[in-house]
Amino acid sequence: MNPLNKIIFLSAFLASGFLLILLSCALYNNYKPLWVILIFLLAPLPNIVSSSIDNSRDNFLTFNNNDGNTPSPVQEFCKSLTGFLILSGISLPLTFYHTHLIELGSMVMSILGGLIVYVDIVVFIWFFSEEEEENDDFNF
Amino acid sequence: MEHSNHLFRFNASIFKLPKSAKLRSFGVYLSGALYAIGFWSIVDAAIYSKTVNASVVHVTFVDWIPFICSTLGMLIVNSIEKANLFVDSNNSFLNSGSNTNAWAARVILFFGFSLLAGGLAGSFMVFILKFLLKKYTFPTLGMGVSNIVSNGCIMLSCVTLWLSQNIEDEYSYSLAL
Repeated sequence: MNPLNKIIFLSAFLASGFLLILLSCALYNNYKPLWVILIFLLAPLPNIVSSSIDNSRDNFLTFNNNDGNTPSPVQEFCKSLTGFLILSGISLPLTFYHTHLIELGSMVMSILGGLIVYVDIVVFIWFFSEEEEENDDFNF
Repeated sequence: MEHSNHLFRFNASIFKLPKSAKLRSFGVYLSGALYAIGFWSIVDAAIYSKTVNASVVHVTFVDWIPFICSTLGMLIVNSIEKANLFVDSNNSFLNSGSNTNAWAARVILFFGFSLLAGGLAGSFMVFILKFLLKKYTFPTLGMGVSNIVSNGCIMLSCVTLWLSQNIEDEYSYSLAL
């Protein structure tokens, strides 16, 4: 599968996720579920930041020879923040529905759309980081 | 030599946690997710009391105090360097400086755990004193229940994070040997 097809499919999925969330707002004329987009766009950020910190850390002069066995506290915090954000994205529409701020269909559509957006971003990162790792087989 | 290391007669190595980095990261994700459940549960109670509440009882600052205690406790417990806690007092000549450090770490850890337990106990107290003793029925009672759920989830999240952080410690230790 060449990269162009990947990009086209992934962007189609991303568009469908955004479409679901926007429909959940527009069909019921109630724009509270728009926050779900923000949460699910923020959710992949901590892992990106922590991996970039990890790549830029210099192991040569610091003499600590843990080659990624023990993750740093920053990495752990970022992971836990990711879990927090994903669950927030799911439970924000649930809370809105429970407190009668949005309808049932709006809740279902916004949760589904948000999950699609998040999975799409993760798959995108996964696809295009895999190609870089093909060059160095011995990266442990 | 081997017998003197065990405190109890049965061998505790049966209960050792499985060693894998994947399980550890899954545990960390899970703890974040549990914390989110706790957070949104209490936010849900607050919004509920503002919008569809049919009774005169409202969520006030008193309901938030257990949550704040639990969160502070979790922050304290999980930001302690765990290598300080298990310093053996016998070979103090090897690391003489870290012995007082271990004492301080244990006191702070005790503080954190008591904040966590106080949060859970406080949520029960709010539930009993504010809702149960005045004989409210269920839609109103739900605000107290969600308070308990919130603090219980934060405690579970702390336990998960602690356990999953101990997984990798043994793993790296065995690699260092």
